[in-house]
Amino acid sequence: MTRQAFIARLQEGLRGLPPQAVADIVADYDTHFSDGAAAGRTEAEVAEALGDPNRLARELRAESTLSRWREERSPSSAAAAVFAVLGLGAIDILILLPVLMGVGGALFGLAVAVIAVFFAGGVVFAAGPFMDPPGGASAALLAGIGLMAGAASGGAILSLVSIGLINALVWYGRLHYRLLKPALES
Amino acid sequence: MPEAIEIQLKKGALELCVLALLHQQDNYAYEIAARLADAIGMGEGTIYPLMRRLQTDGLVETYLVESPAGPPRKYYKLSEAGKRSFISQQIAWSSFSSAVEDIIGGAK
Repeated sequence: MTRQAFIARLQEGLRGLPPQAVADIVADYDTHFSDGAAAGRTEAEVAEALGDPNRLARELRAESTLSRWREERSPSSAAAAVFAVLGLGAIDILILLPVLMGVGGALFGLAVAVIAVFFAGGVVFAAGPFMDPPGGASAALLAGIGLMAGAASGGAILSLVSIGLINALVWYGRLHYRLLKPALES
Repeated sequence: MPEAIEIQLKKGALELCVLALLHQQDNYAYEIAARLADAIGMGEGTIYPLMRRLQTDGLVETYLVESPAGPPRKYYKLSEAGKRSFISQQIAWSSFSSAVEDIIGGAK
């Protein structure tokens, strides 16, 4: 493979990362070719020693996405991390896919339920006292607060569980690096 | 599975080897990669993510040196934390490898 083809495939594979990160990575490998040429090696030899650019790009991209997830716990970085792990394309990750979809669906359902209970609590709290409930107005107020507090703690537990699950998936995904593995284990 | 053992060994030693090379003298990535690829058969492409990680961890620093041909070259050097880390890893490695050596030698 020529230098140009290697760099082009690397660049193509890194698309979607911040432009600065792509430029840094590409510059590193481009310099590597120049240094190789200066040492008297052909472009094909250098490319061979570097490994498959597509695979390299996939792993570099996964790694950068996964470190964003470690720094910033947001739904979008979580989604990006999950897709990066799936993008590694290892067979046993794809086998996991139906299980993942089931677990993800269940979590989503629970999240909707928690939000619904929270709003129901708000309604009981606000409207209950005027409906002449058994036990009097204060019972309705307390029941409303109770429902909302219960929903809030349920939501907190749910996010902890989701974060734990995604971390487990990220750990599992990193086991599937082939080229980068020795360089990234700390 | 001798292959798996080899990968595990290299994985543990790679960072230490890079720190050791930089402890001898400041160097640039191509040279580090070439030496390690020859000596322990590491894929050359892996040096860049490793250097970036060492930089993030504060173990190495970079500076640019004008080169006679082409653009300025990025040199890596050990930071103070990197030197300390190297010394402690070197001690740990020596005592571990001599212990393993003793046991393997005893098995003959």
